[in-house]
Amino acid sequence: MAEVLRLLHPDPWSEAGADIAVAAAEALGMDGLSVSLVTEGDRTELLWCSDDAARCFEDMQHTLGEGPGPDAVRTGAMVWVPDLAQVRTERWPALSMEAPDLQARAVYCFPLGLGAIRVGVLTAVRRTPGPMSAQQADDAIALAAVLTMRCLNGKELQAPETGAQNGANGSAETVRQPDGLPQMLNAVVHQATGMVSAQLLLPLPQALLRLRGHAYSSRRSLTEVAKDVVDRRLRLTHRSNGSPTPPPVVEKD
Amino acid sequence: MIREQRLTEVFVEVADSLTDDFDVIDFLQQLSVRCMELLNVAAVGIMLADSNSTLQTIAASDEHTRLLELFAQQHAQGPCVDCYNSGNVRTNINLTDRTVAAKWPQFAVQAEGTGFVVASALPLRLRGRTIGAMGLFQTDPDPLTASDLTLAQALADVATIAILQQRTLAHSELERGQLQYALTSRIVLEQVKGILAERWNTSVDDAFTALRRYARSHSYQLTSLAREIADGTFDTNQIPRAANGERK
Repeated sequence: MAEVLRLLHPDPWSEAGADIAVAAAEALGMDGLSVSLVTEGDRTELLWCSDDAARCFEDMQHTLGEGPGPDAVRTGAMVWVPDLAQVRTERWPALSMEAPDLQARAVYCFPLGLGAIRVGVLTAVRRTPGPMSAQQADDAIALAAVLTMRCLNGKELQAPETGAQNGANGSAETVRQPDGLPQMLNAVVHQATGMVSAQLLLPLPQALLRLRGHAYSSRRSLTEVAKDVVDRRLRLTHRSNGSPTPPPVVEKD
Repeated sequence: MIREQRLTEVFVEVADSLTDDFDVIDFLQQLSVRCMELLNVAAVGIMLADSNSTLQTIAASDEHTRLLELFAQQHAQGPCVDCYNSGNVRTNINLTDRTVAAKWPQFAVQAEGTGFVVASALPLRLRGRTIGAMGLFQTDPDPLTASDLTLAQALADVATIAILQQRTLAHSELERGQLQYALTSRIVLEQVKGILAERWNTSVDDAFTALRRYARSHSYQLTSLAREIADGTFDTNQIPRAANGERK
């Protein structure tokens, strides 16, 4: 799995997506793997898939609008189905009609997201029923966490990054850090995300992106910027877009 | 009131909550408060490890940002990290000791700023695995006794049970799912604190107090309410705002 995670750096959205999905499926002891990202509301779009079994299952859920994947996205909780044939019909009525024709028998869905921010879902499928081991589950959770962070990096941040990468200081490092992003996990960052979202009437993911953009362009850490927002020493406006020029508009109390 | 009496009350309260449809974050927060009262310490925090084995604060005896920041500091260093990594209880650590300050420089500075002089940490245990830690902080140097620590470990075990007992929206019965869901819920709560603080032009602490009061008085699960607010499906004008500077 460590090897798979390395493949994700620096750009998991490249052509290599399908290869990474195959490698990850193998590392997890599964036959297929897919990643879908939230586009609008709870709707998702397929980003990667390793094979037909994974693609078919994802397409089916998309068409029917129900299944473990949509449930994982909606609730933010993992949904594990060790045997699709054993699922009560009432749970996913339309899906259970199709289940006998699907190649996938065991399905494991891991939500990608950060609190109320929904990013997407990682789905692992296997042609034979059965549980996932604790180690495999931990690996899948780790993969989901890395994918979430990569998704939240957002394209808007990629552009100014390239120019400043050489000789980048600490804050640029923070933005580019491939996994974990310990700073992202700070309570004050989540609070500031909520505040910016209410200030600028932006969805939470964009609010977080705006904060990170500001941190990047002002060469400060995300936590410092978040603290300033929460303490109302800093108020982001629609014009401050995280680009170093023109300088972000800062209103002080 | 003598401790035994108080303990009985807490036991009944915990049993009631766990059999009911409870909110895990709210429950752990109240458990932290009970723990603080029973052990006569200044602050209690409950931390859970995320998928990177990094400790995250899930609840604390008081939700003031200053205290949460001190706990947040413990993702990398401090008594809870040592306890989580070793799986062993760490007791009566003198935070004013120079060797301690050298070992955990950032943590020691922040702890001193909060006035804490002694800390203890107990593991959250789950079938031979450690999934997090409970930190106890004192502003007085009196060491915790053996019976204090037995009680503290029992309360830490209750915290673990509560995390595994929560009924998630997806009815996930999986241990790993439960842990992850509790961590996610905590983040939702922080995001919503920010949304409300901005809408009401108040502090995040006061926003939380008003949110929790509303959830409790309307039998709402704190986390469900927070999720609805984050999704924009709940009209926050229904919640009476906290007065500025109000404390719980």
